[in-house]
Amino acid sequence: MRLTGVGRRYGPGGPWILRDLDLDIPGGTLLRVEGANGSGKSTLLRLLAGIDAPSAGRITGRPRTAYVPERFPAALPMTAGAYLTHLGRVHGLGRAAASRGAREWLERFGAGAYAGTPLSELSKGTSQKVAVAQGLMGTPGLLVLDEAWTGLDRASRGVLDAAVRERVAGGARVVFVDHDPGRLAGEPCAVLRLGNHSARPAFEDAARSARQPTMHIVVEPPPGAVLPAGLPGVPEPLSDGAIRLTVARPRTDDTLRILLAAQPPWHIRSVTEAPHP
Amino acid sequence: MTALLRYQAALLLRSHRWLPPLLLYGGSMAVGVQSGQPVLDCAGWAAATLLPVTAWLVRVCVTNEPSAARDCTAAAAGPWRVHLAAVAVALGAALLLAAAGTGIVAAVGDPHTADRRTVVPMGSATAAGLVCAAACALLGTAVGALCNRPLLRSTAWAVPATLLATVAVLFAGASPANAAVTGLVTGSRTGVVHVPLLPLAAAAALAAGAVAVACALAARRT
Repeated sequence: MRLTGVGRRYGPGGPWILRDLDLDIPGGTLLRVEGANGSGKSTLLRLLAGIDAPSAGRITGRPRTAYVPERFPAALPMTAGAYLTHLGRVHGLGRAAASRGAREWLERFGAGAYAGTPLSELSKGTSQKVAVAQGLMGTPGLLVLDEAWTGLDRASRGVLDAAVRERVAGGARVVFVDHDPGRLAGEPCAVLRLGNHSARPAFEDAARSARQPTMHIVVEPPPGAVLPAGLPGVPEPLSDGAIRLTVARPRTDDTLRILLAAQPPWHIRSVTEAPHP
Repeated sequence: MTALLRYQAALLLRSHRWLPPLLLYGGSMAVGVQSGQPVLDCAGWAAATLLPVTAWLVRVCVTNEPSAARDCTAAAAGPWRVHLAAVAVALGAALLLAAAGTGIVAAVGDPHTADRRTVVPMGSATAAGLVCAAACALLGTAVGALCNRPLLRSTAWAVPATLLATVAVLFAGASPANAAVTGLVTGSRTGVVHVPLLPLAAAAALAAGAVAVACALAARRT
């Protein structure tokens, strides 16, 4: 998925909220968007999710997408289970898979008892669980989370963290905004920082700023090979054709296993601890 | 698309927001379609009534989802598909009303001209009434699509604009709805029944254009 020269402003002549954004989001990326209030985080997420169209530039290669808003006060005239089943079908699931998915995701979030409760009668937290379940049940290729953790209890935040890791490991792109700087810490994560004035992003390798120690894995591709899907970490091409992956230390073994199991296998040149920032 | 249509239909049905437009339709039918009146006059009245009712149904359908829920659906299916499904469900409901209304007209209308001298063939009168109602439903859809989200987002603009556009479309000489209804009323005087296929085609083209504009803008203005 690629953004080319993407900009957004509301109304012709209005100020640019985002401008000249070039961004490549390969599969298996976890991308955190940071910025002050009003820096365009939510606007960017809406553009990524396809809810909103850019005023300039283009977005190509968007996979099947799910979006989870920060607040879901959806006073829809149906039960949580019925809503999720409908949304599951909109996400492309069959009838049986949608109703099974609705039940399973509500249960995973400890809200199985609310499947038959009208959405208008749910508490704020349970509504948010429904919104998150909606985003996860279609196993989207792009998951956009706009402070989706807000309002969830601790256990559910953990379930969402785990689901995000699962999706990233499965090769999906997950883009999120969250006020907690420790959110998904330890997970190799790219950070896009939106400035208040320049609105030009600084793309930095965030695994280094994560709390857990990170590792550099330098690998040499066999001729003609592309990086296997579902690889954790942020790949970075080196000048001699090798690729450096920055991954959280707990993921090192997994990463090596994927690379060695690839057909043809990749050559591991070095595994070193990344220097702390 | 089927899943979206089913979802939007469920929203419309369970929200009970179809009730006010249905009451408007029922009330207007009670006034204009009475037992023993010339069938073509009744059919014209029923069709004309359907135009504002359809515009209202479109408003109900495109504003049925709260914005947070709409965002989720739009991300999953694309904003234009969500909008198209909402408009299509409103049109479907209006066409159901058209069929029901035509049935009522056929049941209670008098198969004679307005001066009761000439017999009006019931079959072709019913067909003409149904086609005219469908044309009015399509034009009501066009009005609803252009006078609501995403083009006019505030209620303060949307509702008066819908009213004005409805009046304009019903009474402007060039409007297919006007042509179709006038055709029926004239037929009721002369006893010659014209099935208004040309107005129907024009109404379909206008509705398609209006809905295309609204769907194209669905992602641009949220």
